[in-house]
Parts: sequence; C-alpha cells; structure tokens
Amino acid sequence: MKSLFRTLFPSASAFCAALFLILGSPRIAQAKINAVATTPDLGAIATVIGGKFVEVTSLARPTEDPHFVDAKPSFILKLNRADALIEGGAELETGWLTALLENARNPKIQAGAPGRISCVEGVDLMDVPATLDRSKGDIHAMGNPHYLTDPINAKIAAQHICASFVALDAKNAESYRASLAKFNAQVDDSLARWQKILEPYQGTRLVAFHNTWPYFGRRFHLKIDLFLEPKPGIPPTPAHMAEIIDTMKTEHIRAILVEPYQNRKTAEKAVTETHSVILDFTQYPGGVKGTEGGYIELMDYLVNTLAKTLATPSK
Amino acid sequence: MSDIITVMLWPFLACLLLPWLLVYYGLHIVKREIIFVDLALAQVAAVGNCIAILMGYTNHDWQTYASAVGFTFVGSVIFTLTRTRSHRVPQEALIGIVYVVAAALGILLLSRSPEGNEELRRTLIGDVLLVTRAEVWKTLALFVVIGVLHYIFRRQFLAISFDPKGELAQSKRGPWWDFLFYVLFGFVVTSFLQIGGVLLVFTFLIMPSVAANMLSRSLPVQMGIAWLFATTGSVCGLVLSYKMDFPAGAAIVCMLGALLLVLGFTTWCARGRKIPQIAPIHAEKETLIDSN
Repeated sequence: MKSLFRTLFPSASAFCAALFLILGSPRIAQAKINAVATTPDLGAIATVIGGKFVEVTSLARPTEDPHFVDAKPSFILKLNRADALIEGGAELETGWLTALLENARNPKIQAGAPGRISCVEGVDLMDVPATLDRSKGDIHAMGNPHYLTDPINAKIAAQHICASFVALDAKNAESYRASLAKFNAQVDDSLARWQKILEPYQGTRLVAFHNTWPYFGRRFHLKIDLFLEPKPGIPPTPAHMAEIIDTMKTEHIRAILVEPYQNRKTAEKAVTETHSVILDFTQYPGGVKGTEGGYIELMDYLVNTLAKTLATPSK
Repeated sequence: MSDIITVMLWPFLACLLLPWLLVYYGLHIVKREIIFVDLALAQVAAVGNCIAILMGYTNHDWQTYASAVGFTFVGSVIFTLTRTRSHRVPQEALIGIVYVVAAALGILLLSRSPEGNEELRRTLIGDVLLVTRAEVWKTLALFVVIGVLHYIFRRQFLAISFDPKGELAQSKRGPWWDFLFYVLFGFVVTSFLQIGGVLLVFTFLIMPSVAANMLSRSLPVQMGIAWLFATTGSVCGLVLSYKMDFPAGAAIVCMLGALLLVLGFTTWCARGRKIPQIAPIHAEKETLIDSN
C-alpha cells in the first residue's frame, strides 16, 4: 500500500494544484439588466433597444444551426443569472432551450414571468401545418419560425423587447422607447430602399438549402420555394437533387441560398451542373462577413448581394 | 464556487453516483480481453434508439429505452455464442464487425429522420451536462439492483470472467452465466448511453480498469483504485468543462485520458523505468498483495 501511495502522490498533487489554479479566477459584478437572447438576430435588436442599460448576450453563434445548439456550461450560467430571456417563441429553439432552462433554475425567466420575452406574438406565421405528421420532416406546429427575415416582423420583435425592458426597468423607460422609435424609423426608411433595389426582380424563383426564407420572399415578392432538402431537416438525397437540378435548368434559376452551417458541397454540385451561383445567406448578424453590424446591416447585405447576383447576366 | 454547483449539480452527482458499476464491469471486460464489446453493445443499443426515434418516440420515452435494451439482447446472444467457439475467427473481430455494422445501420436509419445528425452526435457524446435529477436517480436505482445481483452471484460471474478455462466456464451452465452477464451489461450500457453517450461509456469502462491494473492485482484494491480514478477524473473533467466552456462529455474523456497518461508516467518512473504491465489475462486465484 505504501508504494501505491508513493506512486499516486505526485499525480494526485499535480491535479489538485491545477484544480486550484482554474477555480481561482474572480468575476465581475454588474448593475445593468442582464438579457440573454437565444439567437444573434434577437440579440442584435435587443442591443439596439437596451442601449447602455442592458447587457445582451446571445446563446447560439451566428454560424450555428439554430435548430440544434450545443449546450455548454456557460449557457446554463448565463441563463441562471439572466434578468430577461429573449426567444423567438415559434418552437425554433425548443429542442435545446427546454433542457437548458430546466438546469438553469431561474424563476425570473420561466414561462409567464415578465423576464421571459417571446417575440412571436402578433407575427403572421407562414406554413402552419394543417396536421402534425413527423413523416413530413422537421415541421413546427406553430408554423415556419424564421420570421425575422421580414423587417416588419423585426419591428414586432423590437416592440416586445422594449415593452419587457420597460416593465423590468421603469426608470429608464424613456430611453428604451426612444430607441424603439429610432429603430422603427430606421427599418421603415431602409425597407423602402430595399424594396426599390429588389423591385426589378419581382417574381424571380430561387433555390434555398432549407425553408428559411419564406418571409423574406413574401416581403420582396420573390419565389423561394425550391429546397435542396427533400423535407425540412432531412439531408439532400440523390433523387431529390436530380429533380431540383432539372427544375433549375428548365427554369434558368440563378442562385442557391446557402447558410453557413449548411452543407455547401451539395449546393456546389447543383451549381456545377446548372448556370447558377451560391449566395452566402444568413439569418444572423455575423453569420457572413459584412453582416456584423446588426439587423439593418444584415438586411442590407442580403438585399445587395441578391440584387448584384441577379443583375449580372447569366453565364 | 457556488456558480459551478448551480450549473453542474446533476452532472456532478451523475459522475459521483454512477461510474462504480461501469468501473466494475470494466475490470471484467479488460480481463476477458473483449475491450470493444461495450462500444459494440452501445452502438447496437443506439440502433434500437434510432428505430424508436424513427417511429416518432423521443429520447426520453420508455419505448425508446425498451427498443434499445431489446437490441442489446440480440447483441448479447451474438457475443455469448461466439465466446466459446474456436479461435480461427477471434471474438474481437466479430465484436468489431458488430460495431461497424451497427454504426452504419444507425447512419442509414437516421438519414430518414429530421433530427438525424443531431441524434448521431448525441449517441456519440451524450448530454451529460443536461442530465436531470430523474435520470440520475432512475439510473442509480437500476445500477443498485444490478450491483446486488452481481454481489449475490459474484462467485459465478468472477469464475466465468477470470477463469475461462475453469470448471464453471467449461460446464453446460457456463454460457448461460455468460448470457446473463451480457444482458445485465446491456442494461447498464443502455442506461448510461442515454446520459453519457458511447464515448463516455467506453471511457468509464476501460480507462479506470486499465489504471487499476497498472497499480494492483487484487480485485478489491483494483475496484477502489478504478472508482477513485473514474470519480477524480470525471469531477476534474466537469470543472475543466465549466472553466473552459467545453462540451462536458468530451472534457471528461480527455481529462481521464490525461490522468491515465500522468499515472502511467509516474508508475513508469517509480518502478525503475520498466513498462507497467497489465496483469496477466488468466490470472491465478486472487492474491491480496500489491504487485511490488
């Protein structure tokens, strides 16, 4: 036994020392409202509304699939310390958020609490399924959850976020309301500009990897109704790809919208066989280079990239 | 310090309360030289999981669990039947075949499911960070039952694993004990698979057992060392995961690997620079002495 102890002692003490070192770091206290957003688009809007009175963090990275986000210890800690949780509320995050909330044990952001901000209320959701059938793929009972790709819906989200910040922190209500008014005005101005830029391309049909863009399509009169995925969430199959490539050829479709976390290779295959290009699209500020600024900058990027591609004559 | 408890309470408890049975099974498995049987069984259980998920059950429904256990029974039959056969085809090869076929089958099945990729990842690395109170207690209850069974029939189970040429293992009843061993093992693997995933199951089975074999030949001492190793490693792994914000399961695996490396190196230095020997396979009757 003595030799055993002698053998184990150095490794045991080394590990204890390491443990003390990593446990020792201090943490900083803060007086601001601590708001956690599930996805970076909501985070960006909340940052604009909250201004200097709110500290906003987003859980999902802009390049991450919002349907599946890897749980990390910091998420539980952030949720545990949060004064407000801002979520899309259309079942996009259910798969990962529910278990995280259970572990975070924070009454301030439980369902029904004033700190729980669901931005979906008042949004006219598209693709609401008549019946729930899992064989149709990864469908959401409430409808398509990617509603923030329509700027008008961003205004609705901003409205919810503002109302909640006012309720949580009445003394800075004026600042929140002023920020909301400014954001709304900015969206209205920009929307007129965006619509003008995309006006020449009304009715254009586009392919997307996943059904992320119906709201964007509806707002700007684009037909984004062909998807590389045979069903939402199901990876592209050879037969389905052949069908899409066929349609792309006959209809001279010019672009495939691909997001950072989607499999680029399948899109590249379709591109080599047709006269089309891949457009790097993203729903999230920071998902593609040039979109880091915020929601307005993101939409600017999307509209301009699309217009530029459609303006260049086909190969 | 209180933050880490807030975040990691149930993962910590899971790592303190659950690995002992896996560690004990690990000692059997290393002795039997069927190191990859757990990977294979875990993968077979995962196929059962996939089928249930395709049928529309979620990961937490009992039907999913039942399907996974059912598949491990099939695996158990295969492994029991192949153990006593001739050595022209080594059992390790069959275990490997079961593993790759089960893994490939899982990929085929989940390609039809909307959450396929996610589910595959989950079978591999698990969700130890998000383990719930109910899961910890349920799994502990099952482990206690299986542990008690192992204690009652310890003579038989030890005989078939540690003395495969002995009387019981060679008798007609031998294969039945083998089968029971695998069936109970199937329950253990399936239950822990839901929490830790394939990587963590393998880690808790093999690494502590290897560490224990480096340091001692006596089964009770080995058991103690292995448990201590698993617990220390997984607690350090969770702390690492918390501090560096890593996925918890993978952090535990790497921490145990690092711990094993340090242990191996110290043992090597302490023993006059001879490569530490894993205890011989067909060990003589257990002796309660340390290997020096």
